Amino acid sequence: MKKKRIEKNRIAGYTVLILLAAILSISVVYLPEFGSFQNKKVALFYLRNGLIFTGSANIVNSIVWDFRGYDTMGEETVLFAATMGVFLIIRRKRYGYNR
Amino acid sequence: MDIIVRTVSRILFPLIILIGSFTALHGHLTPGGAFPAGAIIATGFALLVLVFSEGDVEHKLTRNELIDLKSVSGILLIILILSIGATFRENLLSTQIPLNIWSGGFTLFSNIAGMFMVITAIVLIIYSMVRE
Repeated sequence: MKKKRIEKNRIAGYTVLILLAAILSISVVYLPEFGSFQNKKVALFYLRNGLIFTGSANIVNSIVWDFRGYDTMGEETVLFAATMGVFLIIRRKRYGYNR
Repeated sequence: MDIIVRTVSRILFPLIILIGSFTALHGHLTPGGAFPAGAIIATGFALLVLVFSEGDVEHKLTRNELIDLKSVSGILLIILILSIGATFRENLLSTQIPLNIWSGGFTLFSNIAGMFMVITAIVLIIYSMVRE
């Protein structure tokens, strides 16, 4: 009984995987050409209005800290979590972790 | 280490700090920003840890100081970024000329806070990895 269920689950998993692979392969055909400027309204918006909206001449900085500031906040959180993770893993009880 | 290496790194360390600070402070004008600046300055501290002993460096810049700095800069960064929602498109300092140091609104302060976040993260990781 249990074996049968596992077999069923495996068949379902393979079907889902094959479907996913097929969808992804088909969608590759419809990607825009490499380097083409079709359908890049967002990029053009940033390029044209970055200096006007944020006032910073470096376009990357204006995107990182202004247009996508919440994303950067998440990045810093990840950095903080990574540091705390290293601290947790490499701490010696002999010294106490806060030394 | 060798006396040559020690002397050269003693001369080189302030220059590394200078370049990193420049990269952070001019992040909104020239290529660079908070993350490269933090990486550059943390590289300077890595050089110090490599050349001199780890205890000497940690005596000057202790772990608790680093953790305090990290907390303060993190809180500052969160406040700055959450204030974007209120001041987007009309930054508090947006009336200045572009390519001036006081342009770009909060970007300058965000760059400084982010630089401190990256420096403290990398230096703390170096400290705990070196001791192991």
